[in-house]
Amino acid sequence: MSDKRRAEIEAKRAKLAELRKARADRQRAETERRQSDTGGPSIARRDVDDLVNALVGGLSSTSDVTPSSSLPGTPPRPAPNTLSGYSALSISGRLSRQSDVGSDRPSIGTTLVQSVNSATDHVIERTMIPRFVPDLIDVEQELYELPQRERVIYNKEVQTTAVETESPTFREEDIRQQIQRDLEAERNARDDDLEEESIQLEKEIEQEMRELTEEERASILAAPEFLDFVEQSSKILQRALNDGYDYIRDYTIGADSGGDDSEGKRVKRVCAFYDERYGKNRSVTDVDWSPKYPELSIASYNKNPAALNEPDGIVLVWNLHLLERPEFVFHSQSDVLSVTFSPFHSNLVFGGTYSGQILLWDTRSKHLPVLKTPLSAAGHTHPVYAMQMVGTQNAHNLITSSTDGTVCSWLVDMLAQPQETLELVHAGHNKTGEVAITTLDFPDNETTTFWVGTEEGNVYQANRYDRAGAKAGLNQYDIYKGHSGPVMGLNFHPLVGPVDFSDLFLTSSVDWTVKLWRAKSLAKPSTTAHTIAPIYSFDEADDYVYDVKWHPAHPAMFGTVDGSGKFDLWNLNTDTEVPTVSTNVGSGRAINKLEWDRKDGRRAALGGSDGKLYVYDIGDMGIPRESEWTDMQKAVAGIVGGGQTNGVVDGEATRIVAGR
Amino acid sequence: MPPELEQTLSLLSSHRSVLGYLLLSRGHPVCIIRYSGVIFEGEQGKKYASAISKIVESVQAGLEEVNGPDNDGDEVRFMRIRTKRHEIMISPDERYLLAVLHDPAT
Repeated sequence: MSDKRRAEIEAKRAKLAELRKARADRQRAETERRQSDTGGPSIARRDVDDLVNALVGGLSSTSDVTPSSSLPGTPPRPAPNTLSGYSALSISGRLSRQSDVGSDRPSIGTTLVQSVNSATDHVIERTMIPRFVPDLIDVEQELYELPQRERVIYNKEVQTTAVETESPTFREEDIRQQIQRDLEAERNARDDDLEEESIQLEKEIEQEMRELTEEERASILAAPEFLDFVEQSSKILQRALNDGYDYIRDYTIGADSGGDDSEGKRVKRVCAFYDERYGKNRSVTDVDWSPKYPELSIASYNKNPAALNEPDGIVLVWNLHLLERPEFVFHSQSDVLSVTFSPFHSNLVFGGTYSGQILLWDTRSKHLPVLKTPLSAAGHTHPVYAMQMVGTQNAHNLITSSTDGTVCSWLVDMLAQPQETLELVHAGHNKTGEVAITTLDFPDNETTTFWVGTEEGNVYQANRYDRAGAKAGLNQYDIYKGHSGPVMGLNFHPLVGPVDFSDLFLTSSVDWTVKLWRAKSLAKPSTTAHTIAPIYSFDEADDYVYDVKWHPAHPAMFGTVDGSGKFDLWNLNTDTEVPTVSTNVGSGRAINKLEWDRKDGRRAALGGSDGKLYVYDIGDMGIPRESEWTDMQKAVAGIVGGGQTNGVVDGEATRIVAGR
Repeated sequence: MPPELEQTLSLLSSHRSVLGYLLLSRGHPVCIIRYSGVIFEGEQGKKYASAISKIVESVQAGLEEVNGPDNDGDEVRFMRIRTKRHEIMISPDERYLLAVLHDPAT
């Protein structure tokens, strides 16, 4: 049915086009004629004018009088000429109009009868007046010839002055204008006609908007492309809605100046990402920021024991502009313990799982991983708590470590088997030589040697390859001893600014402390067992300290998160005893992970054990001054030098040494 | 109605400032697949639907005019129209159209 209707509308459209074309033709003819007019003789123009004026004047006074008043004025001789010319012309004029009418009529037949009839009635009324105008033109043309041929008649005309003097003296220009006006009127009438017709069409189309039947609706709702459409477009709309800025806000209108709650607080919560379906009963196990899109962050989740049908491991990509739901959802068959965006491919996400599998998801594909490592002895068979991408755009590896001491290096597009496998073993351990790795980090600019934090509390250095004076694998001689519980976080100082602090690293542990260490220079490998003590210990926390991260821009700043839900921000240049700002995050449940954004460290993502991913803004605190690096140098020197007098550090160190 | 679709749409309509959404099937004639909010009920909803589809079509036509005959695959993806009182945000594709009316001042 709608097809038929559409065909009708199409027919009407074609008709409109026809009308327009006819009008254009007529216009062209008109201009041509006018040109010929101007080219005509001008000798007796006055007489012609008079005659036409007489006609026009008659028209303007009473239309009935026009023919009768003009007839007596016309001389007898040229009368037949005039008539013949008149009739010929009028025929042509009528012809063109008839063609118009002819094209009007069929359109009436096709459009809705009632309404269009009224429209055409209207048109007829409108065109009544202009219809006289072509008659006027006709007469004018004929009369041009009349005086040109016989001047003798001039005298005769004089006799008819009485009639002529009655008519007002119009100039040719005026007539032309008059004609123009009339033409205009006609054209307008036609335009109105067209417009009305198109309005008609639209009205009809509108009327055709109807309710969907149940079957149609059901088939649309079930169509996969419809689901995709809703998924995508609702995301776009939600992002725009979360924009939250009123673009036409008028600042001249005085707004209520209610005091800002967050006034004076330097660390502000930006948002807390949580999804009821995916976050319930789960904890965030790791967080990361997208290297390419600063608004994207990622969080991995462990299993929800209450939901048997949901996948055990979940990875969610969150967008700061889309708070209600995750941008992407990735599934895993096992709890995901560590997650990282690939720094070189913004679409790729790596995850390490409890089962030991390494998974690779692609944001261009669906929920399931596009690549995964096999569960075999070639890779990991124990939980993978730590992973890091090292190298450059053209040559990079994913380094993963599991709690059985295995460290694997993978090519990102070849997860079938590791490129290298390293067993970290320590001869000094009783029963098993395993080193249970909980965390690992590479110093900046370093791709072959790394430091690992272990469950027993020691930190070790390990090499990926044989190098001068040292074998590949664990460095057995250097033991970074200081923590009395598992090391949860290890982070090297980032290589930024004029002074190099890249040998400093921080560790956090379940022994409620954060410790600052100086890595031993690799140039002089030890040949005998050697214990290295931390250079400082931060004992402020009164719970497990789950993570510690240097600020990416400020040399003296770092953040810690702990089991009581606190997010502490330290600045070594201002105070080494207490944090600069301490913030209670969320409901007081443990915060598992901390990650600074990759750009300027203005934001920190905090992964909570309540399943929420918090994002905090630290404002300007992360922007370092010129002097921060030299201040930091002094502060570190002070810490190291004052270490002898600092009871805490000294006591800590001696206690451990004594405990050996 | 698939549950995830239901959830997505309820999430959208429960947004603080949203007055309602309109889910249309494009083409001739325009049909309302789903809507929420008092503002899109009954005749008013139909008026909105036809107005929105006309807006989208005219913008699409304008785009084609600007790009010439070799319209290099450009199409309307997202529109927000701010009126004094409300803002309407439209996300069309070839077959469907999702529009949300919200009050940015709330």
